[in-house]
Amino acid sequence: MSDVKDQVLEIVSTVLEKEPQEIPLDAHLVQDVGADSMMALEILAALEKMYRIVIPEEKLREMTTVNRIIELTQESIGKAKQR
Amino acid sequence: MERPLEVQDIKKLIPQRFPFLMIDRVLEAGPQKVVAVKNVTLNEHFFTGHFPGQKVMPGVLIIEAMAQAGIVLYRMKFEKEAILFLVSVKSRFFKPVLPGDQLRLEVEPLKMLSKMGIFKARGFVADQKVAEAEIAFGTQDASSP
Repeated sequence: MSDVKDQVLEIVSTVLEKEPQEIPLDAHLVQDVGADSMMALEILAALEKMYRIVIPEEKLREMTTVNRIIELTQESIGKAKQR
Repeated sequence: MERPLEVQDIKKLIPQRFPFLMIDRVLEAGPQKVVAVKNVTLNEHFFTGHFPGQKVMPGVLIIEAMAQAGIVLYRMKFEKEAILFLVSVKSRFFKPVLPGDQLRLEVEPLKMLSKMGIFKARGFVADQKVAEAEIAFGTQDASSP
């Protein structure tokens, strides 16, 4: 699922209006990269559209780093496949 | 929804008032879609200056009308009254909206949460699409999701 990794980073960098290389995968998006909660929502909405998944509202606060978003996305894709 | 929402019903859902109430009627209202109408008349105050020689509805006011339809959409899911602030707008305008036009606004949620949301909005005159936008909003306390 390395595609997911690249695509998540691309979505994050588009929403944050930064180059992918400016966003370390373990950097805290709010504290270190300058994101806000609205950007997190935009990322979530873009992921839901791209993968046709539903990420629950409470997961929003867990979307702290690109790596964590990749994990959450893969979990949701996994759950969508089970249905 | 059994009947369209008229102005008195719309006023219960959204806080805007004259001269800034930009929807006249809501034809369809549910948590997945709202369709609203704005009748654009020659008497609109903004036509006096926009422009003296050629009357065109300002694009920002089309966005405002979309945003107000978006508040109705929010209130179809969440009962609580909240002042919603515009956060971002990605928009495109296809044709000018002129005096006499009936602007039909269709809004659908992309993600609607209690403290913030994103929705898709499209504006039509007759069956011609005149504008579309992706609009994000938040409540005042949206910084803590």
